[in-house]
Amino acid sequence: MKLFYYLLLLISPLAYSQNTVSGKITDKKGNALPGANVFLKGTYDGTTTDANGLFSFQTTEKDTATLAATYVGYEAFETKIGVRENATDLSVKLEELANELNTVVITAGAFEASDEKRMAMLKPLDIVTTAGAAADITGAMQFLPGAQRVGEQEGLFVRGGSGQETKVVIDGMIVQNPFFSSLPDVQSRGRFNPFMFKGTSFSTGGYSAQYGQALSSVLLLNTTDKVSNNGLGISLNLANAGLNYDYATKNQSISAVAYYGNLKPLFSLVKQNVDWLQEPEFKGSSLTYRLKPTKNGVLKVYGMYSDSQLSMNSRDPASESGKTKLDLENKNSFVTSTYNDSWKEGRWSLNSGFSYSRNNDNTTLDAFNFDRFDERTQARIVLSRLLSGNNTILFGAEAHAIRLKNGFDGQSYDLKDRYTAAFVESEIYITRELAGRIGLRTEYSSLLKDYNLAPRLSFAYKTGKYSQVSLAAGQFYQNPDYKYLYTNKNLDYERADHLILNYQICKNQRTFRFEAFYKNYAQLVREFTGQKFDADPYRFPWGETNNAGKGYARGFDFFWRDQKTIKNFDYWVTYSFVDSKRLFQQFEESTTPTFISNHNISLITKKWFEKITTNVSMTYAFTSGRPYYNPNNEHFLGDKTAPVHNVNIQASKLQNVFGNLVIFYASVDNILNTKNVFTYRYTPDGKTRYAVGPQSYRNFFVGMQIMLSKKAKVSKDDI
Amino acid sequence: MMKRTIFTALALAFSACMVLAQNEKYTQAMTASIQALNGLDKAKPDAKALQDIANQFERIAAAEPKEWLPKYYAGYSNVILGFVGTSLEEKDKYLEKAAALLKDAETIAGKPNDEISVMQAFQSQIHLAADPQNRWEADGAKFAEHLASAKKINAENPRIYYLEASSVFFTPEEFGGGKKPAKPLLEKATQKFAAFKPETNIHPDWGKAETEWMLAQTNQ
Repeated sequence: MKLFYYLLLLISPLAYSQNTVSGKITDKKGNALPGANVFLKGTYDGTTTDANGLFSFQTTEKDTATLAATYVGYEAFETKIGVRENATDLSVKLEELANELNTVVITAGAFEASDEKRMAMLKPLDIVTTAGAAADITGAMQFLPGAQRVGEQEGLFVRGGSGQETKVVIDGMIVQNPFFSSLPDVQSRGRFNPFMFKGTSFSTGGYSAQYGQALSSVLLLNTTDKVSNNGLGISLNLANAGLNYDYATKNQSISAVAYYGNLKPLFSLVKQNVDWLQEPEFKGSSLTYRLKPTKNGVLKVYGMYSDSQLSMNSRDPASESGKTKLDLENKNSFVTSTYNDSWKEGRWSLNSGFSYSRNNDNTTLDAFNFDRFDERTQARIVLSRLLSGNNTILFGAEAHAIRLKNGFDGQSYDLKDRYTAAFVESEIYITRELAGRIGLRTEYSSLLKDYNLAPRLSFAYKTGKYSQVSLAAGQFYQNPDYKYLYTNKNLDYERADHLILNYQICKNQRTFRFEAFYKNYAQLVREFTGQKFDADPYRFPWGETNNAGKGYARGFDFFWRDQKTIKNFDYWVTYSFVDSKRLFQQFEESTTPTFISNHNISLITKKWFEKITTNVSMTYAFTSGRPYYNPNNEHFLGDKTAPVHNVNIQASKLQNVFGNLVIFYASVDNILNTKNVFTYRYTPDGKTRYAVGPQSYRNFFVGMQIMLSKKAKVSKDDI
Repeated sequence: MMKRTIFTALALAFSACMVLAQNEKYTQAMTASIQALNGLDKAKPDAKALQDIANQFERIAAAEPKEWLPKYYAGYSNVILGFVGTSLEEKDKYLEKAAALLKDAETIAGKPNDEISVMQAFQSQIHLAADPQNRWEADGAKFAEHLASAKKINAENPRIYYLEASSVFFTPEEFGGGKKPAKPLLEKATQKFAAFKPETNIHPDWGKAETEWMLAQTNQ
């Protein structure tokens, strides 16, 4: 017993002797990190660093111990230290964790509207709340840098590219008919509801090897994974009435939409420049089903059907009366299903999809029947692997079966194309400041009986904490417009080469972005009719064709957005300059095409009034004059229209009506009633011309969205 | 033989003492840190003091890898740090850390735990509040999911009803929220708090004062 006490006495002073551990915690650059946690592992001994990053604490540990330091946003640090003698003046440098701010992102050519990315320049909501966009996705994209506004045609015109050079892609699948059927000199809306999407990426060029068949740009739309609003919703406005119903359980959900629209009431209130014989009438429905069969797997099936009909007197300079009667009946359906999954903590991931679309236009023009039919079936699979250090590699393939039919006055033209493509792309982080993306795509078209090989390359370098430069280059191929392929099956792909240099700085809810580009067009289709130039954009090409066309587009654009300076006030400014010449179609010399406007400026402002829960948005858009064909001018396409000015205003208000959330909205397009002219069309004798302008000079729209959601109320069962 | 038995007994007693001391040390450290946390001004906590408390919990967590409570409280402290953070960037840093700590706590607990689910719901709520326009959809769903799973485990947990009530309380009236619809929920939470007894002194027992404050507001 005595021995035991003796031992205890001997141990005690040793056990309770205190050693001091002290030092400083800094980042790699030597900046003090106040508030860092410093301690000896396995003990309670430790402290928090002070304002100068200094720490000092006592410990009863002896010999060696493990000193640990942690700080939010930094990698945890551990080291063995000896504490027999006081361990003072320790110096610990912590490494910052890779995050959105300190890691470079490849951005050249891409303009993202995303929910997930904190630093996204646009949010999906911005699309709906932009005045002048009329809640149309492509409408909102027209206010982004790189886009050009062409008022009398649908489509996204990007950096000298025509509307056909942009493809709309939903969850990886090409959308065959993204817009309502085209009408002569009337811009058609996009078919899809912006609320369907959680993210949008608008490429202004140099896009990923994952996508093809677009010389200029791809608009990538990603559908949401969840239903937003459990319950019934009603939408009611001057053009249509719709019902939507969402129902979700833990692993699956369903959303159904049905609508009926008729533009007669609106057109009776707004003076029309189009001579309508029967105002557009349309109905449609869509169904979305989502299932989570595994922990990370998501299956989505989306199907939609719509039909519409209208009748109008279209302007026809070539006819005696100056107009031609046009009747159009359209039936469109689109079904797409995608399955995405990931394994091994996200190291492997799969994106796959299958889709089918079918479109039928029955047109009667001046008592002649024109029937247009197209059908596209596609399948796609992409497998990607996350490697160490955030590097990734992906492989993928897609196959499309396309069928097109054009009927004209009893004669029928038929085309079938089997298009297949394979691609591989890798993203490599050399350091956190420098990253590169290397991709290669190969395509085969059974119609052209030819392969192509398109390399794509981008680099990004972080020049500062908030700024970076990027460079992108690549080759892009597209099948010639099918209207040329009906008569000549020996044509080859059209090609564009892109070179883009980008600088951007995002700091404190302010963004500045500058991009310069050069685009080289090659193998464009030329047509030789042996006759005078025919400016009719709806003519069927009868002449000889070959791939001898070429051209270029060059320019720059910038974007400035500030959400910070004034509270609840957000504005952005874009300016795009493009200079482009082409030798293509029936052109006999290299000239600026009619869809090019050298300068496009837009100013978008939004203000949120908290007290009245109202968002007010105002947009000003300027588009410089575009060339048009005047048969009296010796100089081909030597005339230019006057610039187009447009001021739009929109307000939306949130209101709770009997426990239901209601959004009221109202907008006025072209509030100054400017008599804009997009282009002119001449009679064949060149004596008379018609101005082509917007459907209506000044337009207004009102509507509301009612959400009869149970979720917003307190149910009795809860009490 | 006798000597040996005594020695073994002594050794056993000694080690038992050590274990006891360790347990006591753990409880003491936890109690002190919880007191410090409760002592902070809930409406305007001092970020520096809060960081220090968060660090204390993390140190205990590192020393006691089998206990879920230190991770839970470290997560709780980081949620509040996320709430008081000055920029979105800073808020998110703490909230991401809180999410990771709560995930660790879940793994340590080894079975579904209502308090951890409640804290995860709280984390989603504060994450939503940091950027409501862009996050209401995703975080709103997460918030509801976590509370539903907490209810499944223990429907008597008063913090479930406190969070539900606070969510309605701070939702603008245009979206169906406000003081009026929050009142019945707050009353229900008060009832549950009255019946609630924490498992031990260091088990979660927060939210009562906040509920009372909010209820007083609805009576104004």
